[in-house]
Amino acid sequence: MFDRLLKRLLQGEFICEVSDEASFRYLLDPENATQVDAFLTRLDYRLSSTQNQLAFYAAYRTIDSSARSDIRKVFQQFRTELQPVVEWLDMMMSCLNQDTALSPGDTLSFSSLLQVIEQNQALADRLQIFAKFKDFTSSDDSVKGRLEKLLSTLEKWKYLTLANRDMLIYQVTGKLDYFYQALQFIQEHEQIPVEQGETDVIQESLF
Amino acid sequence: MSQSQQGLERLFKALASYSELVAEAYFTGVVYKDNQNQRALNQLKQLKVLVNHDADGYRIAGRLTQFLDSALSSDRVRRLDTDLAGWIETLEQQISLYQDAEVENRVGDCDNYFAEIERLVFDLSDTLEENTRYLSMLVNSRFANVRTLSEKQKQNAFYISRLEKLVNAITALQPESLLEMVEDQPHIYDLLDQQLIRKLPIYQQRLQDILDTLKVFLFELRQIEARAQLVQGFAFFLQQNQNYQPQDWSERDNIPEHWNQIKPLALLAYADPLDHALEEELIGIAQKISIDTDVMLAKQKQRLLSAVSLSPQNKKTLDLPLYRKQLRVYFDRVLKYENQPISAVAFQQAFVDDIEPSIWLSCVLNEWLRRQQSNKRLLMELVPADVGQRFSGNKKVTDIMLKYRKADA
Repeated sequence: MFDRLLKRLLQGEFICEVSDEASFRYLLDPENATQVDAFLTRLDYRLSSTQNQLAFYAAYRTIDSSARSDIRKVFQQFRTELQPVVEWLDMMMSCLNQDTALSPGDTLSFSSLLQVIEQNQALADRLQIFAKFKDFTSSDDSVKGRLEKLLSTLEKWKYLTLANRDMLIYQVTGKLDYFYQALQFIQEHEQIPVEQGETDVIQESLF
Repeated sequence: MSQSQQGLERLFKALASYSELVAEAYFTGVVYKDNQNQRALNQLKQLKVLVNHDADGYRIAGRLTQFLDSALSSDRVRRLDTDLAGWIETLEQQISLYQDAEVENRVGDCDNYFAEIERLVFDLSDTLEENTRYLSMLVNSRFANVRTLSEKQKQNAFYISRLEKLVNAITALQPESLLEMVEDQPHIYDLLDQQLIRKLPIYQQRLQDILDTLKVFLFELRQIEARAQLVQGFAFFLQQNQNYQPQDWSERDNIPEHWNQIKPLALLAYADPLDHALEEELIGIAQKISIDTDVMLAKQKQRLLSAVSLSPQNKKTLDLPLYRKQLRVYFDRVLKYENQPISAVAFQQAFVDDIEPSIWLSCVLNEWLRRQQSNKRLLMELVPADVGQRFSGNKKVTDIMLKYRKADA
């Protein structure tokens, strides 16, 4: 367990309940987490987690020029992912007829999504928008081809994992928690106007 | 007959067969095991008609008692789910009535009040057990199984109201004052202590677990809601500002924690041009190539253009290779002497010095094949070697005889 887990962390992967349940549960035990952190410390890394502890990953202990250069690359990748992932999350709310955004652990069925999009031209048009992003261009111009490309790219970016290969059921990974955290940060620090509704007040009263 | 129909029939048959035992348990509060009723009691327990009273005795299950109270229009009818706290009050009243009857030495009333107290205690215990267990099960399994925020909010309200009732009931149960009240009635004291008071910590713990779970869910619900707004708001913002790029937070002195993530330790034989993280590095490499490489720096030669000229071009005579000259001499000789076979090897030995016989034979063969297409009179005969590998598919020759057949008259 320990070696497999460390290898995945060193490969820059997010360890979450969806992507690797056994490793994730292992890390939830504070004693195990301390051991992993101690090992990473020898490489001047440390064990870090997303704000809701839904995913673990390795971070730099000391941010020197070399680490800064690597972090710059991570940030660069985030910049690339920002627009398509937000668009995907927003589109999924419409597809699933939900007023809640996707969360780690949620499942997406390829066939159900395809059926919904094929029956709704507005959603099919939204799917076409993804073609403007470099990593989402598909040689297959059909709705099915575009949806395949969308989900496979998100799988490649580790936001999704293929939970059932036969039924083509994808599951949202803990990396989304990381994405939300970064999105929240940008919204707060760059004052992106995001309207806050009245439901917040209702929720307060439920406590 | 379906399985549930069979179950129902079995239940009714058992109730009919053992009606006396059930009635005894209802009216006296408890029925004890003996040699004759053991099998019947076990069956009724399996069917959840009876539950354990103590080590040897059985009582009617709380729900069935309520049904019988209701069916018999008993004054004991209570609305368990709605007024648990009211029960505690009734229990206290019954204890007071029992104590009064005891003081006044009304033995019959004492028995009746005790039976009622016993029933109340068991009902309370059963209800708390059932409700806390059921709520705990719901919270752990079905809480998040809704799709919309409004459904989640309704669900929250439902759980919170049920939780409130249970908390009120447990709060109303003041164990110390209740036990103090029955200090002089040891059998009631034991009953309260064993069936209710000792179980309270279990219910309290269960309620605490439910509350903790609800807190997490409510927290997540608030987060999910905030996330939905964040996503929708951001999506709208990005649609309005298509060229938006976030500030370069990786260049700040204090890099935000979430972007502090290590670069994967991976070895690849080639760079992935789709990997945006490598984009700058690849650009750097490409720029380096254009600056540093001599080949790129060298001035390119101007290409020569094939000029079209009307003046006659100077003809260049290309020298034939020596072996072709010698082949031509050999073939001229063959053509000159009609019907006379001329050995290629003999010619080679006489006139060709610097070509191996085997190569010479190969050249002759090729030339014959080329000429034979236009000149069918040129005949060839192979002189096979005496020894050769049989069945090898190869033919080994020692000489080639060429003959120019005389034209037919």
